[in-house]
Formats: sequence, structure tokens, C-alpha cells
Amino acid sequence: MVAVGASAAASGLRGADLVRRARPLLGTFVEIAVAPCAVADAAIDAAFEAVARVHALMSFHDPQSDVSRLNRGGTSAVAVDAWTFDVLAAAAELQRRSGGLFNIAVAPVLQSLGLLPGSPGRAQPLEDAVELLPDRRVRLRRASARIDLGGIAKGFAVDRAVGALRERSVAVGLVNAGGDLYGFGPHAYTIDIRDPGDPAAVMSRIDVFNEALASTAGRVDPFCSRVVGDCAVIDPRHGEPVRTVRGASVRASSCMVADALTKIVMIAREDAGPILDHYGASALFVAETGEVCATADWQDAASRAH
Amino acid sequence: MTRWIRWSAPAALAISITAPAHAVQYLSIAQAQRQAFPGATFAEVQGGRVWKAESGGRLLGYFVFDRVIGKHLYIDYAVSVDPSGRIRRIDILEYRESYGGEVRSPSWLAQFVGKTAGSALAVGQDIRNISGATLSSEHITQGVKRVLAAYGGRGR
Repeated sequence: MVAVGASAAASGLRGADLVRRARPLLGTFVEIAVAPCAVADAAIDAAFEAVARVHALMSFHDPQSDVSRLNRGGTSAVAVDAWTFDVLAAAAELQRRSGGLFNIAVAPVLQSLGLLPGSPGRAQPLEDAVELLPDRRVRLRRASARIDLGGIAKGFAVDRAVGALRERSVAVGLVNAGGDLYGFGPHAYTIDIRDPGDPAAVMSRIDVFNEALASTAGRVDPFCSRVVGDCAVIDPRHGEPVRTVRGASVRASSCMVADALTKIVMIAREDAGPILDHYGASALFVAETGEVCATADWQDAASRAH
Repeated sequence: MTRWIRWSAPAALAISITAPAHAVQYLSIAQAQRQAFPGATFAEVQGGRVWKAESGGRLLGYFVFDRVIGKHLYIDYAVSVDPSGRIRRIDILEYRESYGGEVRSPSWLAQFVGKTAGSALAVGQDIRNISGATLSSEHITQGVKRVLAAYGGRGR
């Protein structure tokens, strides 16, 4: 195990050397850290703006968002922002490659569980809910369908924030949106992974080196208790929350893909192997029994950094 | 084809290493004020809590320092509002969490993280980024609503 406390004398990047800022966005805490440079503050501001823009476009709660306009629009075509279109296209591909296990049409199930606001309307099969049309237009295939990009938009926001930093020539940075994160630069970042059964404890520690790491588990409100709430991942095969897996983490080259793949691993467990292979991703999950499973390459990426 | 490696984690094997709680100071109040209202002068309206930001006699807005306190952590944050009461930005100033105090080290974890033992040291323990169950920022949202109710109308 990592020797805690033995690192003070180590060389390399130190947290104290980074310019770190945090804001409440996307329903969680978003932290952005970059190496000190002339553009650090401006780049961090731009990165937060990118996250806020994703939030404004893809929030289920905001009536002005693309997602809300689409959910209100019946089956008529709705023009959406290029970013929203990109996420919808990626979601469609993930849905196809996962045999329907990744599904953005689970919003009515989340509503009926009280995890999203509003009335779910009548029960309906979860299907391919969205049709992508030319000129960044999209429409719902069924007027009663409701989509929620909560399973993918946070990762996308991280990618866009990283893009904003890199556009401003930031060479070293880390964007962490409530545990969905991407680190870049010459050094690896050490990331603690919470025990999904006990958020106050750290279960594993891995290195992230020019890649993304995303995790999914129940939600925790640290102001109330340490008890982890029901997870918001719905198995579309029976329309109920996943209960056989406590939590999953995925490392991948993009945070959007990592974020979405955590949902697929939660549902499919070992059967997620082929789709992880396709995206060049590795994963770890904790079963309800406490058993931990990881792909054989889970830690390989870390060794590349040294 | 992906190969999965499986560990069972008997609780009896777990040991704990006590480490300090996780705390990050992002910005001091003065730094946050400068970032929210560049070039402004600040007049304290309520001691240690509310400042009026002005530039050349013109009101730019208000800077409100607040803190939400929970059972396991507290968060210092600041809300900057413009004269019409709209939020300009919300910054977290300091964040303290009590998790991470127990790093569990069952024997399976030793092989699990074996490759990273050296690399973790190269980074520095003070970069404590966490992935896992998402922490809700709902209490900040409630705090901001409180702040807006109290101070959002001042400039009008």
C-alpha cells in the first residue's frame, strides 16, 4: 500500500504549487487546478465558463436548457447547440454499442424515484428516444419520452473545461467535477477513490496521467450523514436502480466516455468488457457483496508515467 | 478480450492509517474580492461578511462571505452580486472534508495498487483529489438563496 505521509520530500508537482479554484456547478463541486502561469486566472475563468455553459445547455432542471426544450417539444425537431448535439450523438453511439444498457431516456424512471423533478407520466418502454437530424436538429421519437443527460454531461463538461485550459496554452492542469476528472501535464495525479459503501473512507488510490477518471455510486450529502443514497443508475432492462453493484470507476481518454461507461459497468459488470475494449478504457467495480473486480489493465496506465 | 481480476476484501484484513482531514484553501477573502470585482475598492457593510464594491464612486455590486457548516465538513464561500441583485459568481474559498482520514489497506489492496506506490509519492500527498460517490452541493445552493434573500436587493 502507498506509504501515506512519506511524500513530503518527494520532488515533482505539489498541490501547493498549483493555482486551485472551486465553484459549485453541475450540482456538485467543480475544482480546477493549473500550474502557475501568466494566464492561469483567465484560463481557469474560461474553463469554469465552459462548465457553466454545459450546465445551462444540458440541465434537466433548467427550463431554458436544450434538454428541457427537447423534452417539451413533443416529436417536432428542435435546434440545439453544437455541444448538445455532440453529446446526444455520443450517447446514441454508447447506447448502440452497449446493446441499450446506456440509455438517456431513463428520465421518467428517475422522476418516479424522486431523483428528478416532475411527473413521469405513463410508463413506457425505454428505447432509442432521440432522432438526430441534419443541421444540429433533434427530435424525440415519441412525444412522451423524456431524456436526461445526467449520465454523460458532467464528463463532457470536464472535457470542455480541459479544452478551454489547453486553448490558452495551459500545460499542466486538473479538472475535477465531483469525482469525474481529467488530469494533464508531465506528471501523474494521484487520485483517491472513495469506498462506495463508506464515503468517508478511501478504498483505492490510482494515478491519472493525461487521461480521465470517472466514478459512479450513490449520492452523498456530507452535511446530513455519511450514508450513501440510492444510486441513480437505472438498468433499462427492468427500469429499476442497480442494486448489485455499489460503485464503479472507469479510466478512459475522454471524461465523457469514462462518465458514460461507469453506468454501463454498474449495469453489465464483467460483461462490459467488450465496450471497455472498444473505447480503450479500464474499469473497477465494487459488488454489493464487497467483492472488488477490476480489469487487468486498471493500473497499467499509471506505470506509463514513470 | 478484457480480463477481470477479482479480489474479495474481508474486513478483518483491513487496517487504517490515520491521516489529517482533507482541507483546501482556494482563495482568501481579499483574493476572492479582487477576482470577483477587479480594480474595485471594498467598503465593509457588515463586519467580516458583506462588502460593497465600488469603482470611481460607481456601485459595482456586493461581495458576501458565507459559510455552510455540516456534521462532517464546512465550506467557506463567497457570493458576488451585481447592483441588480444578479449573481456574478460563486467561489469556494475553503473546503474541509473529514473523509480520507482512513486509508484502508487490506492485503488485496497491496497488489492492487502495487504499481503506483512510487508514483503516488512523486506527486505529493497534498494533491488529494477524490473520485467516487458524488458530493451534493445542495447546501451551497441553499446558502446562496439565503444570501440573495438577504443581500440581493441592496443595490436596487
